[in-house]
Amino acid sequence: MNLAARQPVLLVAVPLVFAATCPLWGMWKRRICFYWALGGMSVTAFLAWSLIGKVSQKAPLTYNVSGWRPPWGIQIRIDTVGLLLACTITAMSILLLLYSYRYVEKEIPTQRIVYYYTLLLLIFTAMLGCSVTGDLFNFFVFMEIFSITSYALVAISGERRAIRAALKYLLMGATSSLTVLLAISFLYSVTGSLNMVDIGQVLERMGRTSSPYLPVAAAAMIFFIAGFCVKAAVFPVHVWLPEAHSIAPSPVSALLSALVIKMGVLGIIRTLFTVYGRGFSSFSEVWGALATVLSWAAALSIPVAAIMAIMQTDLKVMIAYSSVVHVGYIVLGISVLSVQGFAGGLFNIVAHAMGKGCFFLVAGIIIYKHGFRRIDDLKGLGRSMPVTAGAFAIASLSIVGLPPSAGFIAKWNILYGCLQQSQYIQVVLALFGSMLSAVYCFKVVYYMFFTGSNVGAKMDEGPMTMLIPVTLLAAGTVFFGIFSALLMPTLSNAARVLLAR
Amino acid sequence: MNFSRIFHNLNYVVSALLFLMGLYAVTVKPNIIKKLIGLNIMETSVFLLIVSVGMVDNGVAPIVTEGYRNALEAGRVVNPIPQALILTGIVVAVSTTAVALSLCLRVHEKYGTLNAPEILGRDVL
Repeated sequence: MNLAARQPVLLVAVPLVFAATCPLWGMWKRRICFYWALGGMSVTAFLAWSLIGKVSQKAPLTYNVSGWRPPWGIQIRIDTVGLLLACTITAMSILLLLYSYRYVEKEIPTQRIVYYYTLLLLIFTAMLGCSVTGDLFNFFVFMEIFSITSYALVAISGERRAIRAALKYLLMGATSSLTVLLAISFLYSVTGSLNMVDIGQVLERMGRTSSPYLPVAAAAMIFFIAGFCVKAAVFPVHVWLPEAHSIAPSPVSALLSALVIKMGVLGIIRTLFTVYGRGFSSFSEVWGALATVLSWAAALSIPVAAIMAIMQTDLKVMIAYSSVVHVGYIVLGISVLSVQGFAGGLFNIVAHAMGKGCFFLVAGIIIYKHGFRRIDDLKGLGRSMPVTAGAFAIASLSIVGLPPSAGFIAKWNILYGCLQQSQYIQVVLALFGSMLSAVYCFKVVYYMFFTGSNVGAKMDEGPMTMLIPVTLLAAGTVFFGIFSALLMPTLSNAARVLLAR
Repeated sequence: MNFSRIFHNLNYVVSALLFLMGLYAVTVKPNIIKKLIGLNIMETSVFLLIVSVGMVDNGVAPIVTEGYRNALEAGRVVNPIPQALILTGIVVAVSTTAVALSLCLRVHEKYGTLNAPEILGRDVL
């Protein structure tokens, strides 16, 4: 058996097998689950990272599952965007698992630890599946897997607010999933295909012959965007996010904010550009209108969510609102339809994953050590927890978007893209949102470092397995800020291919 | 108004009505169980739509038997993919409903009510 040729499918199959066998180990000894999950994700990370340099947006790595050829079978299709997400997911997964090692004892009931690791493996599997699949229905199935898993993960602590948040998340998430399924069935009914690239070609042909079924495809596009916007928590439909992301256990919050909402963004990219991109000429009005609506919703979400974040007294709720701000930036970059803005949006997926991951994990360390959730309680923590607070300060540079952090590169490119398209009001809104972001981030940093302490100045850091992920994430934001040239040219090329008509 | 046209596309009309009914229940009904019922109605409507898309009058399954060649020539062979999609969709819907019902059970246990506005009114964020 040629394993190397099967690498694309192994990327999904390996974590799935590890997830399925995790409860069996848990029946024997609970502690093994952690090592099992970590081992599984390490193998997966190796599989994903060894693909770097081997794929491009123009020449993706493809694999036909069970040997069925593309328009009929499920095709795995790893392009630059998919690989970017796969690498981010696998890297984050290892850090989050490492972090969970000690954290689970704080917020997760002992008998559920086995389920916790199983669900984590399952959610990573589903997200990897979403990023590598080239089949629309397969995308939907993986999307449902990670959605259902994340409802369970939000509720895993068993606290009553957590269960309420999970139910609220489920009601919105399931409705949006159905909207996406409806869109897929619309599209299938007029194109007879489920392969994204193939649908694109069929739509192009239909456009040339001005088929009478084009309005159905256009309606499907609206349903797709509506559904994925809920998943991505774009402004008017973000209401489920603050509660679900803040009440979940901290590693889960980090996972949801850093990775899961990006899958909604991926859905927008896949449908708007891979599926409908080629047939653009036949949809120019609807397509253009949708892109405009998206960019306005995104641009408005930035200041509005930032103001909401400033008003919060709970640290994790504040961080959750900040995620809405950043989804706004990413969607703004994507929907402004300039190469530079698009590349900036893709870059912000990575930058935000690191920055927001670090934020939530820091909040987790503080909860683990002191049980503090309120921002006012953080006074003077910089003295007793210098590493934790320092990591928060560095990550906040990236979240606000100051040089030399990754967030700066991302925002700069997004705003430059907006200027290229003469979207001046969006630029003003985004810049205003950045200033507001500085208020809520630096308020916390100020409390941590420049006010009198209420926990004493004695060194009292969290455990090593928690500090390492936090430090690495904070260092990552600076690293990718300084060495953004490692990523940006590749992302620009991908953006150029996706935006080419 | 051409009634025969509506009659021939009855599946689509019913599916659209069901979808809207479900959406109404999910968004407007205060009772969580009713919201979930609405969600399931929405799911069913989408399944009905996909099945209707794959419908062929007097169709034959694409299995090579005696009558297959005639059916193929008459263009009456049914595409099996919509049915496969529905099966997957039903599995997904069942698991969503299962998770949702177990959450409902817990919510009722902890809050003592299934009324959504009442639950949202307690321990505000």
